[in-house]
Amino acid sequence: MTGAPAADASTRATPDAESSTPTLRLAFRRSAFWIAAGAGALIVAIIATVLAGGGQVGGPPLAADNPAPAGAMALVEVLRSQGVSVTVADTLAEATAAAAGSTDSTLFSFDADGYLTRTQLETMAGLATRTVLADPDFDAILTLAPGVGFGGLAGTDPRTASCDIPAAVKAGRVSPGGKTLSITANGDADADGLTGCFPSGATAFSLVSRTAGDRTLTLVADTAVFRNDTITLDGNAALALNLLGSGGDLIWYLPTLADVARTGPPSLGELTPGWVTPTLVLLVLVSLAAMVWRGRRFGPLVAENLPVTVRAGETMEGRARLYARSSARLRALDALRVGAIQRLAAKVGLSRLATLDDVVLAVAAAAGRAPAEVRLTLVDALPTSDRDLVTLSDRIQDLERATTRTPTSPPPGRMDP
Amino acid sequence: MTITGRFVALVALGVVPIVALGRSPGMAAAVLGGWLLLVLGLGILDLALAGSPRRLALTRSLPTRVRLGETVTSDLYLTNTGSRRLRAVVRDGWQPSAGAGDNRTPLLIPSGERRVVSLRLTPFRRGERRVQQVTVRSTGPLGLWVRQASLDCPGRLRVLPPFNARKHLPSRITRLKELDGRTSLLVRGQGTEFDSLREYVRGDDVRSIDWRATARQNDVMVRTWRPERDRRVVILIDSGRTSAARIDDEPRLDTAFEAALLLAGLASKAGDHVDFIAYDRRVRGRVQGAQGAELLSRMVDAMAVIDPELIEMDWSAVPGQVRAVTSQRALVVLVTSVDAPGASTALLSMLPQLTRRHTVVVASVTDPTTLSASRERGTREQIYRAAAAERALLDVARVSAAIRQQGADVVTGSPADLPPALADRYLALKAAGRL
Repeated sequence: MTGAPAADASTRATPDAESSTPTLRLAFRRSAFWIAAGAGALIVAIIATVLAGGGQVGGPPLAADNPAPAGAMALVEVLRSQGVSVTVADTLAEATAAAAGSTDSTLFSFDADGYLTRTQLETMAGLATRTVLADPDFDAILTLAPGVGFGGLAGTDPRTASCDIPAAVKAGRVSPGGKTLSITANGDADADGLTGCFPSGATAFSLVSRTAGDRTLTLVADTAVFRNDTITLDGNAALALNLLGSGGDLIWYLPTLADVARTGPPSLGELTPGWVTPTLVLLVLVSLAAMVWRGRRFGPLVAENLPVTVRAGETMEGRARLYARSSARLRALDALRVGAIQRLAAKVGLSRLATLDDVVLAVAAAAGRAPAEVRLTLVDALPTSDRDLVTLSDRIQDLERATTRTPTSPPPGRMDP
Repeated sequence: MTITGRFVALVALGVVPIVALGRSPGMAAAVLGGWLLLVLGLGILDLALAGSPRRLALTRSLPTRVRLGETVTSDLYLTNTGSRRLRAVVRDGWQPSAGAGDNRTPLLIPSGERRVVSLRLTPFRRGERRVQQVTVRSTGPLGLWVRQASLDCPGRLRVLPPFNARKHLPSRITRLKELDGRTSLLVRGQGTEFDSLREYVRGDDVRSIDWRATARQNDVMVRTWRPERDRRVVILIDSGRTSAARIDDEPRLDTAFEAALLLAGLASKAGDHVDFIAYDRRVRGRVQGAQGAELLSRMVDAMAVIDPELIEMDWSAVPGQVRAVTSQRALVVLVTSVDAPGASTALLSMLPQLTRRHTVVVASVTDPTTLSASRERGTREQIYRAAAAERALLDVARVSAAIRQQGADVVTGSPADLPPALADRYLALKAAGRL
């Protein structure tokens, strides 16, 4: 009973000073609403993005994992479910590695951006037993099938196989429209081993196949046969599945930038050592830390009411500028004259009530000047230019000085008391 | 919480391992990450080991008042009530014009002990200077991260007007004493009091010989006189808008305070009762019924916190204020500014009410630059400036003449000259017995 109050008193004797800086916990509690609001806004934004953009997953056209209309995921998935092992390759090296382990493989390639050179194209064509090229470009045709040319766009009527390639025969028809290829007449088509299917004119075909030895090269003029959105039309699906699924292995090769051979001197990025980027990151962090170091205030700002600063001469300066701007020479000169006349009257011993004429006469006598001249200086002369103003001001000062130098007789003494 | 320069340098030092070990980009990035984790860990450890700046008991020892321009010492006692040693830097949050300078005091307070921070304060502005809080930064043992807290510890210091004009006081008191006991006819008249009789010495005015006393004493006796005592002096200072104007880098109000203090010091020595009022539209400060040393100390105390108010002076209420102070005849000193006729209309229309009962002196600070500007006439601009200055001087002369016509006296002077000029006018009135 006795101990507790004593301890109380001792703690009360040295109470800690009240702190106005919030502790970390208090600061967190105070800003809890804003933290929660920010987190909520972030969650809403993420959900909205997922909901709105979920259906628009992009990717390169005819990519094996692209579920968009331009992709080819449908075809690849069906092939996989049918037991075909599909290997996706992004570079020629990967495609070569995939082809090395298999003796009966199919290679599908679609080079939309024309990355591959002729040498690479030839290498690619030699990888697998069956090579299927979708929408081949000029380089590919020239390198791999010199007897083939472009055939323009197909008409809108459906086309039948009209050839003996098994896949085409099974498909029966392909969807109308799209690009075609032609077999040029410069050589004997059969001699080159070229077969055209799905003709839409005399020489225009949607599919051209060339067999040389045990290797088959199939050129499919239009990507509609493989695309997710058009594969279900007519016999497209049958054609695609039969072309690609006849072997056990399928290499799905879409060339990328990595296939482009490097030329010229090494770039700046290759020449810089590995530590440069981390060092730059470190420097940014150092400058951030320096900002915190220099920017944190040592306690709150202290407020103080400061007095207004009004210079007393401001009205005078303002009036002088007004005179000068409006060239109020006469008004300015009048002010100078009135001041001078009052000082002169006091000097020559006249009262404040003396008339102007009296002052002029007395000053003329005191300064030894002609009354007319004094009168001209003090009263009559009109300044017509700034030069006149300066001259008259000088003459007034002269007159005041002259009057000072020649003192008049002392003012009449006081009567004796 | 904040960090020190040492921490910034430590982060920057990470360049060395990154360059030395970072052969490949991946390796360098790993070194960077490792270094950042290391310095962050060191910082958090340092912060955890730092003493709490909140576990401090503060006591302040401070003089209550100081004259402007003088220096006082403010002592702040800090007791570490926490269990850890506190390595701290302390900043006392004085207002800037308290003149504390750049106060950052490093301290080392072991647990349970007390240290003092002595701060030299040289305030450079009159008024009440305050301090609200003390900010403490507690550094950890490694000196990397810092805990910071602002602790409440209020204090105040009243900065009194400097009373520089007190240098004129001894000479004026000497002249006051000369008035005392003078037997001259010149000062004799209404308002002088009979003091004593003494023997005639050569040079005394024969007209002050008291014949009846001479007959009694068998020696020629003269009467001596002394100035009247126990008169009332009312000093009323205009703290309105015009008192804010600065002349020679001193507000009119401060010059008015100097003049009022000198006059009050002199008048209380002369045995008169001095009352002081600062007024614009209400009473900003008032000292009544004080005598001697207490009068001056109460006046400076009241003056310390008066600042010019940016409102127009209400002259119509001034006679009422004077009447509230005294109903006797008094010397009323109005310290204001005599400016343009338009601005002085209210003063002029009120003056007759005061001059009917009292002796009134209007004191005003004049700007010495106006006079010098009226004499500089070299160029065109200077002539226009001189004309404007002449116009201002004529305005002052006109208002002064009008004030004299109302029966009051006018004393003007530059900030340095006004206090002694006002004291001289008081002595002249005293000598003439017009109080």
